[in-house]
Amino acid sequence: MSTSTGHSLIDRLRSIVGHAGLLNSPSDLLVYECDGFTIEKNKPDVVVFPTSTDDIARIVQACNEFQVPFLPRGAGTSLAGGCLPVGGGVMIALTRMKRILEVNIRDRYAVVEPGVVNLWLSNHLKPFGFHFAPDPSSQGACTIGGNTATNSGGPHTLKYGVTVNHVLGLEFVLPDGRVVQTGGPVEDNPGYDLTGVIVGSEGTFGIASKIWVRISRNPEAYRTLLGIFETVDDATNTISDIIGAGIIPGALEMLDRLILQAVEAAFHFGFPLDAGAALIMEVDGLDAGLDTDAERIAAIAIRNNAREVRRAKSEADRALLWKCRKQAFGAVGRLAPSYCTQDGVVPRTRLPHILRVIQKISDKYQVRVANVFHAGDGNIHPILLFDERDPGQVKRVLQAGHDILDECIACGGSVTGEHGIGVEKINFMPKLFNPEDLAMMQRLRSVFNPDGRCSPLKMLPTAGACIEPSKAGRRASL
Amino acid sequence: MADQASVLIDDFGPLAMHRPRSVAEIGNLVRQAAVENRAIYPIGGGTMLDRGLPPSHPGLAVTLDHLSEVIDYPTRDMTITVQAGITIDQLQNTLQRENQRLPIDVPRACSATLGGILACNISGPRRYGFGTLRDYVIGISVVNDRGQEIKAGGRVVKNVAGYDLCKLFVGSLGTLGIITQVTLKLRPMPEERALVLLPSDSETLPKLLNLLHGSRTCPVCIDLLNEGFVRHLNHQPKMQLPEAAWLILVGYEDNRDNVSWQIQQLTKELAAENARGLDARIGITSQPIYQAMGDLALRPESSLIFKANLPAGGTADFCRQLSGLRIDLAMQAHAGNGIVTGHLEHDLNLETARDLVQMIHAWIPPSGNLVIHRCPVAWKKHLPIWGKSRNDGGLMRRVKHTLDPQGIFNPGRFVEGI
Repeated sequence: MSTSTGHSLIDRLRSIVGHAGLLNSPSDLLVYECDGFTIEKNKPDVVVFPTSTDDIARIVQACNEFQVPFLPRGAGTSLAGGCLPVGGGVMIALTRMKRILEVNIRDRYAVVEPGVVNLWLSNHLKPFGFHFAPDPSSQGACTIGGNTATNSGGPHTLKYGVTVNHVLGLEFVLPDGRVVQTGGPVEDNPGYDLTGVIVGSEGTFGIASKIWVRISRNPEAYRTLLGIFETVDDATNTISDIIGAGIIPGALEMLDRLILQAVEAAFHFGFPLDAGAALIMEVDGLDAGLDTDAERIAAIAIRNNAREVRRAKSEADRALLWKCRKQAFGAVGRLAPSYCTQDGVVPRTRLPHILRVIQKISDKYQVRVANVFHAGDGNIHPILLFDERDPGQVKRVLQAGHDILDECIACGGSVTGEHGIGVEKINFMPKLFNPEDLAMMQRLRSVFNPDGRCSPLKMLPTAGACIEPSKAGRRASL
Repeated sequence: MADQASVLIDDFGPLAMHRPRSVAEIGNLVRQAAVENRAIYPIGGGTMLDRGLPPSHPGLAVTLDHLSEVIDYPTRDMTITVQAGITIDQLQNTLQRENQRLPIDVPRACSATLGGILACNISGPRRYGFGTLRDYVIGISVVNDRGQEIKAGGRVVKNVAGYDLCKLFVGSLGTLGIITQVTLKLRPMPEERALVLLPSDSETLPKLLNLLHGSRTCPVCIDLLNEGFVRHLNHQPKMQLPEAAWLILVGYEDNRDNVSWQIQQLTKELAAENARGLDARIGITSQPIYQAMGDLALRPESSLIFKANLPAGGTADFCRQLSGLRIDLAMQAHAGNGIVTGHLEHDLNLETARDLVQMIHAWIPPSGNLVIHRCPVAWKKHLPIWGKSRNDGGLMRRVKHTLDPQGIFNPGRFVEGI
């Protein structure tokens, strides 16, 4: 599309980010056609790499002038199609804005650009004895901007909360190109908690260009236990009893038989291959009192028929156990050529029920399902195994996934605990919320993104109605 | 507020008090108010009615004291769903029977309601360890400007489906709708608790607060009181707090082994700094002190109450500056969070108050602010009640204008004239 002055949008974007900051050849764009949700794909028309807030603002203004949709992207590790460029348009990749701008230990915050990788910040803080608490399994690659957009979780959310509990403020480019600051390094700013509503809005409210995050002190010590159970029921009852006893573990992770077999084949930890389920149970904090908690946890597990309870004897032992957990998804590659993971949530006490239902669904659709998840939060991650070359299997996998999420809703739960709605679960929104609820959310979005040009067709089923998906004709004019 | 037929807010009114018995009734009241171009002033326990600017439009008051039921309390899931009119005491008593709690310190918990403390975003000394209400609200229902009850969030502790309207309503001072129902994430009661009392002179204060920041121990509260407030608290039975220029109160909560180790550890760390006069209140004896510290926020004798927020590391110096300002200034700080409240009794005129506020503003770094929680109504139009305007003020006005275009809810009382 060209303006009266004859410049195309591409020229304009190039004038902002330079030749090295723009990709638009079909082969380059292929990388950006999807995130970790690979079932739907669509290439953006162009990808730009801003290096400053001002760049982002000017890019957004240009998109508005040319009436072309745009969306932000971090590392693209999201799992629900949050950064899938549904209508094509301009993808604003923030991976070159990767500076840690400030660390203030006394006031317990850090300021980062959105492209800073989650783990970099914690590594940077290590000498001070601090870390950034949200630690999704993808933390070696995912960015803090992406964490902010999706309100990421991770295995330690039960005790330490999710991303929103650790974001203090944002510098934010609104979809009209204006820059605002919400919150900041100081607590209790008067007025609405705009930071709180922007976190988790999946890029539909605008683009964070600077993030103030809370930093947390590293736990001084850990006690990591591994409980081996004959049945999933025994493992889940153990979880409820631990929390019922007033202990909040740093993490409570469950692995079922299928995943145990895959992980064992990959990492040789020594998991028994015939066990029904394993629980990684970890308490952390000050060393004092941790043994008391660990003994109580072990006793609870034994009372719930644990076959054995092992304790990680060394830091290396603990690290290997966590490697098994965090790379479990990688190990799944041994089981099937493709997999698709769900992200349902149920009240903790309904875990035995949902896992039984998942087994039934697995039988019904002839789809193997492995389970590895954040049991303490009731956040399940059933991994549906299939071969994407077989269209029949793909169809059955999608149907099985939907049935699982429907059951989560029936249990009073949710269809996403940490991955987000994106495009993948947009059709579930009317099942979770009634039309009035969704209309309220739509009104809130219109405050930030009245034209729907920023991240169209995400999160809300009726969203972005005024945006025309980028058509071949429009693409040609770019 | 229960039996009143009408209420005055900041001398505005009388506003007829409505006490709906159902959410449908609230919806009708809102729709009717919209048609008649009247405002609605949501009221909880009435403990913080003087917060903010005076009402700007005639209307009616709505209180939810008939909507105070526990809807669902699945104890093993550690969540509870309640109607917003429940008082904090009722709520905590229910939770205590299951050895659980909402770890938020609330002043006048016998009257304050859940809806009210959410609207005002109340917090207290233990926010250092447990965070604030935004960290505990996982689901919310609200009657909006169209009289519809809308909901957001859910009943599970981890949930990212849809926009997090919970965050928007917490701290919105009733300006976006009437909170009707809330689902909370809960915490277990600690096995043991303790408050370490540490007197300090002005000179040592920054060093001690820095030491606490760097301590190996993990306090859930680092509060600071000046002598004026300590004396005030000592009028109450069983307090006997040590009187010094400053009193630091350091709270610990965990299992028994952990808490006793933390007290010993802190004692050791302090001994190295020659701090003296350490006194620890263990177990249930710490509870009345927390309640009294929380209640200070609403002390009836105070005619001017202000709250400053600043970087936590600057708390000691800021408090020392303040104490040089007026001898009768009573002060409390959540020193770990950089929240400082100051109280003055009578004997003050508008001119003096204005000068004071201006001077204090100048001491606060640009990232912080100063709001006035209480002052005589006549002063409100002359003082910066909500502090200095921030660069997201325009966005806040747009939120209000979009979600309540007619200005039905609590008009005129909040930031930016919202």
